[in-house]
Amino acid sequence: MKTLIFGAGNLLLSDEGFGVHAIRHLEANYTFPEEVELYDGGTLGIMVTHKFEEAERIYILDVIEGEGTPGELRRFEKDDIMLDRIPVKLSPHQIGIQETLLMSELRGFCPERVTLLGVLPVSLDASDQLSPTVSKRLDDVAQILVTELAGHGMTVMKKAA
Amino acid sequence: MSKRITLDPITRIEGHLRIDVEVNDGKVSKAWSSAQMWRGIETILKGKDPQDAWSLAQRFCGVCTTVHAISSIRSVENALKVEVPMNAQYIRNIMIAQHSVQDHIVHFYHLSALDWVDIVSALKADPKKAAQIAQSISDWPGNSEKEFKAVQDKLKAFVAGGKLGIFASGYWGHPAMKLPPEINLIATAHYLKALDYQRKAAQAVAILGGKNPHIQNLVVGGVATAVNLENMATLNMERIAYLRTLMEETRDFVQKVYYPDMIAIASAYKEWFKYGAGVTNYLAVPEFPEDTKNTQFGLNGGVFFNGDLKTFKSITNHQDPYLINNISEGVAHAWYEGSATHHPWEGETKPEYTDFQENGKYSWCKSPRFDGKPVQVGPPAQLFAAYANGNPKVKKLVDATCQQIGIQVKDLHSTMGRLGARAVRAHLLADMSLEYLDKLVTNLGKGDKTYANHTEIPKGEYKGVGFHEAPRGTLSHWMVIDNKKIKNYQAVVPSTWNASPRDEKGNMGPYEASLVGNPVANEEKPLEVLRTIHSFDPCIACAVHTIDPEGKEITKVKVL
Repeated sequence: MKTLIFGAGNLLLSDEGFGVHAIRHLEANYTFPEEVELYDGGTLGIMVTHKFEEAERIYILDVIEGEGTPGELRRFEKDDIMLDRIPVKLSPHQIGIQETLLMSELRGFCPERVTLLGVLPVSLDASDQLSPTVSKRLDDVAQILVTELAGHGMTVMKKAA
Repeated sequence: MSKRITLDPITRIEGHLRIDVEVNDGKVSKAWSSAQMWRGIETILKGKDPQDAWSLAQRFCGVCTTVHAISSIRSVENALKVEVPMNAQYIRNIMIAQHSVQDHIVHFYHLSALDWVDIVSALKADPKKAAQIAQSISDWPGNSEKEFKAVQDKLKAFVAGGKLGIFASGYWGHPAMKLPPEINLIATAHYLKALDYQRKAAQAVAILGGKNPHIQNLVVGGVATAVNLENMATLNMERIAYLRTLMEETRDFVQKVYYPDMIAIASAYKEWFKYGAGVTNYLAVPEFPEDTKNTQFGLNGGVFFNGDLKTFKSITNHQDPYLINNISEGVAHAWYEGSATHHPWEGETKPEYTDFQENGKYSWCKSPRFDGKPVQVGPPAQLFAAYANGNPKVKKLVDATCQQIGIQVKDLHSTMGRLGARAVRAHLLADMSLEYLDKLVTNLGKGDKTYANHTEIPKGEYKGVGFHEAPRGTLSHWMVIDNKKIKNYQAVVPSTWNASPRDEKGNMGPYEASLVGNPVANEEKPLEVLRTIHSFDPCIACAVHTIDPEGKEITKVKVL
């Protein structure tokens, strides 16, 4: 059972880089079991399709645009993505992650379980730092992942400070 | 009656480009290209260590990560006159070439094919007939009736399950779609299959680069990749053999699937060699250095004007003053203060937003010019330059391609010409990747164990430029180093050359010029506009809004 935690986004546009910052945050603060892979997907979308197809369970960490309070964290599952029930846009560069997953589904290689954890951005200015509000969501995302992985018998250890 | 169509981003996150066209009697009469996002990213690099710039620079763009890393590192090497050992040049060349192959595969199948291929029509195809057609043009083993039937069945299930709606860019049943159902089925099957091969190219880059998508193996003066043919712990003979297999498999896909598919689509849409020429001044820089000083290259560059190869001037190296001194960027129609034109080393970035003013400032994109003229960059430019330089391989391949489609070389100045040139370039680079691997192995066999010339950044002021002929065309990073820190940094990227707004003389940029005269059968579904814009491989996702004369939005279509 291989779980992929995929961070998407542009690291140079402040909160747009949330997914990438989240991956770095997880790497710095936790030790994951071998069957969990943390992946900095940047903004490549379709060019990293194979990462999705190799996994059995996917968590996508991304920034999303839509109605709501900036800094809010929202969650979507595979059907929401496949049937286009996401009321917000993912951060797509070239062909977005949504289309990429659908293409994998058409190829018969998309994992059964896909979860998107998306945060609404506060700032998209040119910067390699997150806004303070969105920065607080890094711990929330980490908590969700640690709890869920533990529920599937995978132990994530917090590194000593 | 004149109608205005605006192609505009859906969201800030998503879009970088807006295209406005005025349509008269079914043809585009005026066009404007407007970058909607300020790329102030260069400012982040100011004050940073020049040796680290390449790592941040590869985040400039969503897709072309490797190319910015290469350009950035070359700018430091150029500034400090650092030589790059042959092992490092070969390793970089293989990465560059494989990255291009991956990019071209993805562009053709996933970013532009749906402008020409009607997936829904594939449902009506006869899989047996499709297999016969496919086998008649290529001996690719994947072109079986069984394969095409399986894809068709899967498609049927998807359409029944309501899942196809997500491909909002699909213009199913548009009158400009002309391929027979069987060709649509073949292209759809290859569209899905292509993902396996773009992946192999990515894996090839990762074997050398340490990690994909963001390579980690560059250092100023070379690469951090050590090859040890015996040692199992490093990049050894076994990994090199695996690299070769991957690149051979990708080459076979490019030459037996992608290239023949391009020929089939181009032959069915021959009228598209008449549209979209636009700016026929071209610029390409030399690529694939074959010595340590960046003076000998696998493919030479050059410049020519008005589509006339008689005006061709060869550019043979990255230090050529004709190349370096003739590049400038203007802001007459861009949202920056004033209307001055600067050389990139003196480039300024002082924003002044005015809203969209079609006769004034209307884009965040500056207007790069060569010798004061707009130029088109990209695969056609590189092929024309190599062709004019008498490169025998390029000449043979370009001539054979034109003959197969039934066109002349000058017809490549067009929308379809750009798709064709890209496939020819992929064909060429798939071979060249393997040639550079052979050269690397030979050089290692001679006992050369140098991968980098260790470099410290000295005190004082230095200027450098890193040129790279990237998948989308000429890229340059301009760096000024002062007291060991970056003092100024400007990147003049291929999409800036091509998406450029008008300049102070009123000359349109390549996107704009290419759209004038473009047919538009149905203003509510401006598929033809997308064909021409997508043919440049724009690094963007945007949306189409069709506006009626009162300015009311008729339709909004997502463009991928």
